[in-house]
Amino acid sequence: MRPVLNKTNARLAALAGAVLFTATVAVLLARQYALGPARPAPDFRTFGPPGAPVRIEEYSDFACGACRGAADKLNEALKVYPGKLRVELKHYPLSNIHPWSLQAAAYADCAGARGKFKEYAALLFEGQENWGEAKAEPGEFRDYAGRLGLDWEELKACSNDPKTLKALKLDIAEAELKGVNATPTFFINGKRAVGPAQLLEQLRKLDKLLAADGAGR
Amino acid sequence: MKRETITSKRTALDLAGLLARLALAGVFIYAGAIKLLAPAEEFAYAIETYKVTGPQLSLWAAYIMPWLELFSGLLLAAGIFTRFNALFCGALLLFFEVLLGQAWLRGLPVTSCGCFGSGGSNSLGYEFLQNLVFLALAYLAFRRGRFFSADGALGGGA
Repeated sequence: MRPVLNKTNARLAALAGAVLFTATVAVLLARQYALGPARPAPDFRTFGPPGAPVRIEEYSDFACGACRGAADKLNEALKVYPGKLRVELKHYPLSNIHPWSLQAAAYADCAGARGKFKEYAALLFEGQENWGEAKAEPGEFRDYAGRLGLDWEELKACSNDPKTLKALKLDIAEAELKGVNATPTFFINGKRAVGPAQLLEQLRKLDKLLAADGAGR
Repeated sequence: MKRETITSKRTALDLAGLLARLALAGVFIYAGAIKLLAPAEEFAYAIETYKVTGPQLSLWAAYIMPWLELFSGLLLAAGIFTRFNALFCGALLLFFEVLLGQAWLRGLPVTSCGCFGSGGSNSLGYEFLQNLVFLALAYLAFRRGRFFSADGALGGGA
């Protein structure tokens, strides 16, 4: 009987090690470059036609000032390039510094399920200084619901629903998988941009991207 | 004449073993990679629907299982420790079969089996039968999978 730890098996083990090491590095790189299958955001968090040549995925936090600025820039870009952009907003609440961000995202999604995502999100961004670092649960969430004619009790129940929280957790998990650790982070046709300055730089290149696609303006 | 027939039968069996090994390896590589490029939580939610493990254990399983699938698939494709890997893949498939079977019998509302990522999947019955085909491939790869393999080239392997 041949010993298990012979020279041939040692060579095979080394080969196995090399294969597994290469595969691990390849998977980790593929994650960093967001090469995984796209997980679409819900319709109410998606703006622009599905066939748009430029696809922007944004990871955002309602209590972050830079995200507020970026939201304005993106709204502008959607108007400047009608039909050429598709923006998908995903939540990445930085709960360690913004204690109410997760809750805000849940309320926004619940408002979205009732056809008011954009409006509720705009109010959240507008009033972020008031609720962002509040000690107790901010009353603003309820005020915003009232201003948009949304039933508060219904919205609150929806925000605590495990399904709502599951969608948020998946957004967060996806962001972490892609190495997102700051907001706002964008993936513009897969290319990463962090912060409004990089977004602006990429937006300036949009003309080039659109021309390359043959869509033009 | 008789010797020629035996040789060609052997070659055909070896070829079938090679094809089975590569097909099964492809299935495992794809199943592992597609899950590794998506958040583990997605797969964990799919595992939870089998009502066998709690959320924490499901998450751990979702972290580990795709790596096992990818690694065993790659080693099987390269033919490194072929018999051991074919056996390991077979054991995994049997384990999946038990999970699918119990969910099927209990009539659990499993919308995504989690077999190939967390998108929608076929019915549990279909997946159960598909796994039986994969098990047959694992058996063939175990018995005759050393043709055109690293094991064969180096003359070793388990």
